[in-house]
Order: sequence, then structure tokens, then C-alpha cells
Amino acid sequence: MTQVISTRVLPELLQWPDEGIARVPMHVFTDPEIYAWEQDLIFRGPTWSFLCLDVEIPAAGDYITTRIGDSPIIAVRRPDGGINALVNRCVHKGSIICHQPKGKRERAHNFVCPYHNWIYDFDGNLTSIAFEQGIQQKGGMPADFDKTQHKLTRLRVETINGLVFGTFSDKTPKLKDYLGPVMVEHIERTLHGKVKILGRYSQFMHNNWKLYVENSRDNYHPSLLHAFFSTFKLNRLSAEGGTRQDDKSWHHITFTKRYTDKGDAAYDSGMLRAQKTDYGLKDPSLIDQWMEFPDQITNSIQSIFPGFVLQQVLNSLGTRQVITHGVDKCELVWTMVGLEGDTEEQTLVRGKQSNLVGPAGLVSMEDGAIGGFVQKGIAGDLDKRAILEMGGIGVGGMPTRATETSVRGFWKVYRELLDV
Amino acid sequence: MSDSVVAARNIEVPLAAKAAIARLMAQYAHAIDNDELERWPQFFTAQGTYQIIPRTAYEQGHPVGVWYCDNRDMLEDRVRSLREINVYEPHVYRHVIGPTEILEFSGGVYRAQTSYIVVRTMHDGEMTVFSAGRYVDEIVLETDLALLQKRLVVTDSARFDTLVVIPI
Repeated sequence: MTQVISTRVLPELLQWPDEGIARVPMHVFTDPEIYAWEQDLIFRGPTWSFLCLDVEIPAAGDYITTRIGDSPIIAVRRPDGGINALVNRCVHKGSIICHQPKGKRERAHNFVCPYHNWIYDFDGNLTSIAFEQGIQQKGGMPADFDKTQHKLTRLRVETINGLVFGTFSDKTPKLKDYLGPVMVEHIERTLHGKVKILGRYSQFMHNNWKLYVENSRDNYHPSLLHAFFSTFKLNRLSAEGGTRQDDKSWHHITFTKRYTDKGDAAYDSGMLRAQKTDYGLKDPSLIDQWMEFPDQITNSIQSIFPGFVLQQVLNSLGTRQVITHGVDKCELVWTMVGLEGDTEEQTLVRGKQSNLVGPAGLVSMEDGAIGGFVQKGIAGDLDKRAILEMGGIGVGGMPTRATETSVRGFWKVYRELLDV
Repeated sequence: MSDSVVAARNIEVPLAAKAAIARLMAQYAHAIDNDELERWPQFFTAQGTYQIIPRTAYEQGHPVGVWYCDNRDMLEDRVRSLREINVYEPHVYRHVIGPTEILEFSGGVYRAQTSYIVVRTMHDGEMTVFSAGRYVDEIVLETDLALLQKRLVVTDSARFDTLVVIPI
């Protein structure tokens, strides 16, 4: 499926360096023609993109609007309980059909374009055209106009542990095969109950979308750029760390573990109170936590190609969805979640720890700025290449954080999909 | 017009209290805008709460926004973090504050709301309307000093540009 028009072919736009994924040509972050191909070959290609949480559209007729790359999408709950995803674009003039962020089509299970009242059912079929027969035998659509030939583009939809994903392509493997067992197991482990929404906001960044995705996979930078953990000696919470990937290195998990043996007093289901003397914080209740996960992982960032992140920072759980906004801007939509059955105290802990993440995150706020620093820095030198050799030049999981293996994994997939 | 429609809630507020609350509003904004951030925690009670939460989340009753502190020590940790630790391009805020509407007085606590606009100026001169919204406050008086027992910064937008390191 090629939708890119008036654009040069990729071999003219992008010749990958001989060093392979150990180098990245800087102009992939600035070239609008490459961006157009990415929309086609990545976001509308054989990949799964996050759409919403299952709980956001619980009842028949509930819908939410979102985007995959630049394409506007409606996700809607069908009367039979399933979820459909449709491109939110009327076949008539191209107007978006749903202009509300979310809503409910309760009585008639259909969508009506506000411009000329063309009506679609939840499967995307065009069921009605206003004045189709004209007014008093005058005007109207031609007799041979066939409504069945004009439908909204309908995506394939699959869910895992309350996360709803969609794909444009028939070639995309089934979601669990796309993710692979390592990623599936980690999603099931992080979202170990029924999800409930605690908050939602977004962070607007002045950089190409790929610079954020690289950042989410870069386990080399956190202890260097984000000084909050080390300054307040909180890194003692996470003495071990590493990187896991799926077989093809499309997706990635970076994690840190608490250095605690089983049987240690700290390892139980109770609340771990941070002691004032241990840290430099005036109020260490910020990092009070409970050992929610038997694997003792205290931080994990799971990045699913192309633009989805599932985070666990202590007990702060959330999803991050990358939305493209042209070649030099992007947006990260954060949904912070808890689980049904959380106690009031646990909800408070998740709320306090939300201070660590997001646009005002004590640990992670720099991620909102650093991509912009790169975008500014490369502006005059588009012939230059980024160097990615930390931890070697290959891909695959590694038992260390001193590696860029997962960033290279991103570029491996990128080259495969763009065939460059 | 129906008599049951109340155009305005008129709360009787002693002049001294009104003046103290007005001083709090003005000093809070100037302390932030003039880079006297060490004063910022002092506008709160020891157990004061400060939260920045988008209007949509606030109206839907979601508990989590982008910033949440529930005592003055946490506010001071925030100031220390932005002074010594966090990495960001230098920038300043300019707050413009609307008139304070006192909504209620009970149990020694004034509930009030105040509109604000924050213009952010970056070191290179770029200026943006960074945030607009309202403060939803609970204010207590200690003699003639008004203190925030709770300040919810309810932002009209749920989208934050780059990062929020300086309090609003």
C-alpha cells in the first residue's frame, strides 16, 4: 500500500552508511520526504500502534479519537463487545467525522459526518448520503453511484491486558506474534490486574518522533542525563540492570532491579518506608513503595515499535504514546494507571511517584528537552552521522545498561521497513 | 428570570482577610516570576498540598496530574532539584492573575478561585503562552498572614510544552 505521492523514491533520499546500524544519518530527523515515507511504510505499514486503553471505551457506542502517526483514528466499542478502529476521515470531502476527543453513539450505532451528514456504521460502511435522491427530483447523486464502493478504512484491532492496538496492514503478524513471548510476558507482568485510569496529559516536544523513541530505548543516558536518582542516592534502589529484546530486536525492555535477596526484610508485600537519613530528600515519602512485582524489578521501560512505551517507575505505572507532528515536532500522550483493588494508600503512592515522570517528572523531565537539543544541534550539519557503538555494534539483550543495543535495534527495524 | 438562579455568591469577608489573601496572590506570583523560588514553599502551610492537574482530569475526578506535593518539605525538594539537578534551558515566567473569587468560608478555611496566565520567555527571547487556567485554593489565616493549605493549579490545556520545572 503506497500512499506517498509527489515524493522521491527512498533510494534517492537515503543511502545508509556502510557502517550499518552503528551510524545514523542525521537528515532522517529533518527530511520531510523521508517523513512522508515513514508514515506510509511504518505507521501505515506492518506494525501495531497503541490506540487506547480498553477501559476508556467500556460500553457499546463508546468511542475515542486518537492518531496513528498523522492518520486520525476512531476506536469504537461495538454492540457485541468487540472494538473497531476506523480512519476518522469522511470519504466525501475528507473532513474528520468525530471532532470530539471521546463520546458515545448510544441509540444509532453510527457516525455522522458534520459537514454533509454522510453516515457510516461502526464497520465503516457508508449507509446514507444526505439528499442522495435530490430535493423534489432535482439534484442528488447519480443513479449509478455505489455506496458500497466507498467505506472508511478499517484497521485490524487486537488487545492485550487492556491495551488496544491497531494496524493498517494485512501483513502484520498477530499481535502476540508481533510482540514475541518476552514482550508479552512483560506486559502481562506489569499490568497484572484490571487497569483503571488515574490521569492523562501530554508532553509536546520540539524534535522528530524518532529522537524520542531512541531516547525511550537508550539505557546509556539515564544515570548521566537524569541526575535526580544519583544525587538523592536513590540509585541504590536499583543496583542491577539490563536490557531484554524480542528475537528480532524490534522491541525492548530496559530494567533495574533492587539489590535484595529473598528473605530480606525489605522483600515482602508491605510498604517500604524510605528513611530520611538514607537520602538527601527532605521528604523521602516521595519514594515510599511496595514491592509490587516478585521479580524485584523497580524500574522498567518497555518500548514497542514504533511508538508505544509501557512504564513502571517504582509503583508508577503508565502508557506513553508517540504522536507525530511533522518532521521536527512530536507529542507524547501519557496515561497514568492503577489497578482495580489498589488500596487508598497504594493509589496515593502511585500518585506521589507520578512526580518522577511526565513533563514535570523529577527524574524524566529532561527527556522532553533533550530531543530538542539534538534537533537544534544537527540543523547545520545534515551530512553528519550519529555514532552508536556503546556495547558494540550489534543488537540483542545485554546484562548491562552501558549499551545502545536497543537503539540499534530500532534502526535495524527502521531499515528493514524502509528497505534502505 | 427564576429566583432560584443565583448570579453571584456573596461571601462576607472581613477586609483584613481580603487584604491578606490579595497579598498572598500577588507575592506568590512575584516570587516565582522574580526567581525567588526559595520563597515559594513559604506560601504554604507545613502540610500544604500543591498539585498541577489538567482541567479534563480535574473534571473527570482523576487523582493524578503532572505535579503533586502534599507537604512543604516536598516543595523544598522540588526547588532544590530545579536549582541543582534538573537540566533545562534557562527561562522565566510572567504570571498575570485575575481577581480572586471567594467561594466559601467554613471551619476557618477560605475556598477561592483565581484565573492566571503564564507567559514563558526563553533565554533566546522566544515567548509563549505556557499555561492558562485557574488556582483552586484553600486558604487559612494565621493572624494577618494568609497561607495556602491547598493549591490546585487547574490547567486549561492537558498538553505541556517541553517540560514544567518551575512551579505555576
